[in-house]
Amino acid sequence: MSTIAPEFRLSRFIASLTDIIFWVLLIFSLVGLPIVFIVLFYIKLPVINGQLMTPYLAMTWMADPSRSIPIIKSFMHTTIFRVAVFPGFGFAALLAAATIYVERKFLAKIQLRVGPLYCGKIEGILQLMGDGFKLMSKEIIIPAKADKPIFWIGPVLFVGTAGAFVSLIPVAPGWVVANPSVGLLAVFATIGFFPIIAVLSAWSANSKWTFIGGLRALHQMIAFEIPLILSLLGIVILSGTLNLSQIVQSQEHYWWITFMPLSAVVFFITIIAELERIPFDLPEAESEIVAGWLTEFSGMMYGLIQLGTYLKLYAFAGLFTVLFLGGWQGPSIWPPFPQEIITQGITIGPVTAKFPGLPLFDQEMLNGTLWFVIKTVGVILLILLPRGVFPRVRIDMILHTGWYKLIGLAFINIFIALGLLYAGVLGPGGLLH
Amino acid sequence: MADAVFLALSVLTIGCAIVALEIRSLIYGSIALMLTLSGIAGFFLLLDAPFVAMFQLSVYVGSIAVLILFTVMLVRRELIFNKIEDKRRRYAGIGLMIALMLTIGTIIIGSGIKTMETNSSAIDYKKIGEDFLTYYSPALIVMALILASSIVGALALAKREDVENEQRTD
Repeated sequence: MSTIAPEFRLSRFIASLTDIIFWVLLIFSLVGLPIVFIVLFYIKLPVINGQLMTPYLAMTWMADPSRSIPIIKSFMHTTIFRVAVFPGFGFAALLAAATIYVERKFLAKIQLRVGPLYCGKIEGILQLMGDGFKLMSKEIIIPAKADKPIFWIGPVLFVGTAGAFVSLIPVAPGWVVANPSVGLLAVFATIGFFPIIAVLSAWSANSKWTFIGGLRALHQMIAFEIPLILSLLGIVILSGTLNLSQIVQSQEHYWWITFMPLSAVVFFITIIAELERIPFDLPEAESEIVAGWLTEFSGMMYGLIQLGTYLKLYAFAGLFTVLFLGGWQGPSIWPPFPQEIITQGITIGPVTAKFPGLPLFDQEMLNGTLWFVIKTVGVILLILLPRGVFPRVRIDMILHTGWYKLIGLAFINIFIALGLLYAGVLGPGGLLH
Repeated sequence: MADAVFLALSVLTIGCAIVALEIRSLIYGSIALMLTLSGIAGFFLLLDAPFVAMFQLSVYVGSIAVLILFTVMLVRRELIFNKIEDKRRRYAGIGLMIALMLTIGTIIIGSGIKTMETNSSAIDYKKIGEDFLTYYSPALIVMALILASSIVGALALAKREDVENEQRTD
């Protein structure tokens, strides 16, 4: 039994705690509260219950739980909430974090191992948090001959591009961060930035491993970008739009995977190659070139790259769901919000609390989100599966697959889509529309 | 708002173009070229042409700039360039540029595009597709032929018959 702190005294611990609490309270009341008020005076406050919220009212309403729900509701419809929390970064990062944990347990079960076990007592559920703290506390080492500006900005750009990709994925009807009319083209434009970032950060580290890894990443991503774009053209032809939300709406009666399974297979293979996952993980081949283009990243820089990779994984899985599996479409299984809470409030013993403004989310949105998450998690598990069973392929085989076979299959799929369109079966004005 | 964005984009685009020409490091030059091309994509977005903007990003930044970067990384700089410092050439270049811009400016102003309607809605990409397949179809066919012939030419140039690929077994 080892002791973490042999000089531990409870009295000193309590004294330091009270000390910290004192300073926090002092700084908050002297600096924090004035800053809150100044910010509240400058930002545009919403009209709630027919009354413009002034900063004074804001403070009293935040203290009253029955009146704070309208404030939360109005906050949920702001852009910053969408970008930071729900369909944007926070939601995706949560799913990405869950993916990392599930991937480790899932692969362990496939290979008859146990995976993370000790951290957090129950099946190592806190392992991810521990890894995060470890990465944050580690030193960031910059190679002496590295090109410092590019090396520093590489991981940040990677996360930023992954976040831009995430922002284009519609989660529920009307719940999407950015909804351009050319959403699918915006996805292609965003994907095009990943090889640039990979090869620039690989070059800037000034090491053989990273440079070879970066060149491999560039070869692979460029080879697979073309079948990726071509495989999705069939859907554009049949649904007649480039907007991702409208593509989801066009799948109200049937999913596109039923008519274009070939396209779905090609797109799935290109997803795995773009994500540099086994069997296409040549850019990070750990048994050949240490860690490929990630070799020189340490500490939180590596953590940022990992975050970006898993955000990208979520975004690709979400894109697959949106394009082939009907996005948020599905039977309504979410229970409706109980009416008596809205009309009568919640009664606990002698106290009755009324909550005007409930429910926070409408049923359609919650149902859509549920279906989207179920389908996306299924696709993510399918993407994770090959890692447990396949070996790595050779670079000439991967390029051959990308440039010859997948492009050929994608063209066949385009002709199938055109045939369905001209036969009058599908598409605008088709039989099944 | 749009004016501020336009000014920022102009500074970014022109500044990065100058950097791309002037900087010594080829890698930074190609990064600056990428920023210039992205700035042009921003101009297209300001002009309510998201279709063209996205193609600008995915083709010019995502493919052409990547190819330039690739080439720069694989080729050693000293072997292909030798430095020529010539003041007169630089001034002649600047003079030529000003003359060219003045000519193009007079042509544009003389052509009658003086007023722009700012409230018109964005052009739908479906309209662009229709136009390409109806009125502009000869141009489309000519472009396709040019691209196809250049691809065939590139393949013919890149093919080497003296190299035997021993690894490939299929």
